[in-house]
Amino acid sequence: MTSTIQTTLFIATIGIVGIFIFMSFFYLIILALDKYLPYQEEKPTEEFMEEISESEE
Amino acid sequence: MNTLLSLTDNLRTFWGYTGFANAEIGHIVMILIGLIFIYLAITKEYEPLLLIPIGFGILIGNIPFNEAANLQVGIYEEGSVLNILYQGVVKGWYPPLIFLGIGAMTDFSALIANPKLILIGAAAQFGIFGAYIIALQMGFAPNEAGAIGIIGGADGPTAIFTTSKLAPHLLGAVAISAYSYMALVPVIQPPFMRMLTTKKERVIKMKTPRVVSQTEKVLFPIMGLLLTAFLVPSGLPLLGMLFFGNLLKESGVTRRLAETARGPLIDIVTILLGLTVGASTQATTFLRIESLKVFAIGALSFVIATCAGILFVKLFNLILPKEKKINPLIGNSGVSAVPDSARISQIIGLEYEPSNYLLMHAMGPNVAGVIGSAVAAGILLGFLY
Repeated sequence: MTSTIQTTLFIATIGIVGIFIFMSFFYLIILALDKYLPYQEEKPTEEFMEEISESEE
Repeated sequence: MNTLLSLTDNLRTFWGYTGFANAEIGHIVMILIGLIFIYLAITKEYEPLLLIPIGFGILIGNIPFNEAANLQVGIYEEGSVLNILYQGVVKGWYPPLIFLGIGAMTDFSALIANPKLILIGAAAQFGIFGAYIIALQMGFAPNEAGAIGIIGGADGPTAIFTTSKLAPHLLGAVAISAYSYMALVPVIQPPFMRMLTTKKERVIKMKTPRVVSQTEKVLFPIMGLLLTAFLVPSGLPLLGMLFFGNLLKESGVTRRLAETARGPLIDIVTILLGLTVGASTQATTFLRIESLKVFAIGALSFVIATCAGILFVKLFNLILPKEKKINPLIGNSGVSAVPDSARISQIIGLEYEPSNYLLMHAMGPNVAGVIGSAVAAGILLGFLY
């Protein structure tokens, strides 16, 4: 195997592994976002105001 | 008699300046290619926003003129208008600005809702590295092979940015190849999608994605930027701008900036980029065997990327529980031709199951492909620049 082929395969392997590592980090970040900041249904403003006035009473 | 001689001389000089006197066969071939681009854009609507500026640029760049006359009209003549506009390509200013606009128009919800789809965007980047290996084996230098390989990312701005750094002399061939194949995604991908999937796989229905909170949407580009900065800093010019544009969109408080980025700014830059890339394909620099090789490897890279995305999904499905299986028809969307490749998934999916809407699912790997190809570009630049 010539050194050119070796270098080529090295860069290609590092490249594809690097992309998978990068994307895996992204995957973990998104999982963390979902876990710690889950979607909560937003309440209409009127309902929200009613809740506030009730709590004040 | 003297007046007649002088008039003849003047007419001869004038004739010497005209395109008719300077035209060569190469100019005619390139003008025909430019006209084909314009024809395809108008009649077939293949990427008209890109093919019309590029096609017209090819016409401008190949008008035969007397180069010795120093008319300052050619794109390679220092100080000419085209040459000044071309600096945005040569120095790599235009692609990050386009990424800013893309970020401001991209909704990452599909990806955030189903994050495992991000790995399809990674798998499709096999196209880049496959083409890189093939280009090296065909005798290209490593930096040239890197520039040619990036065609497989199916992302015009990324291809131009990388080539402007690694092999500026291949810019015309790489850019034209990348944009041509992006326009031909509806023709290239479907046969391989059908060939690599079974009827049973094509009708897999995926679960409706969960709702994504606004907080997640705002934090995503910030996290993305930090991750890029720390892991692949050479990808920052592209990914930094992509995430910046996305934050402008999702923050909700910079609507005017987001609208400018995804509207007038990206339109202006697209016009300048398309026109100058087209004009850079002058017959003398473009019509070479080298360019034909670039086109051939470019086509292969698209095929490899499409097949890698689909095969990765099939492989991934082996470990996924039945209710979470992914329809392999969205594997092709890992190439970043947004949104064309996602639309292809939808169209082919509907052919086999009329109630199976794959577009929202396919947008996940599609936007992941944009990120993936920019990361690949960063890695190649890191090694080869």
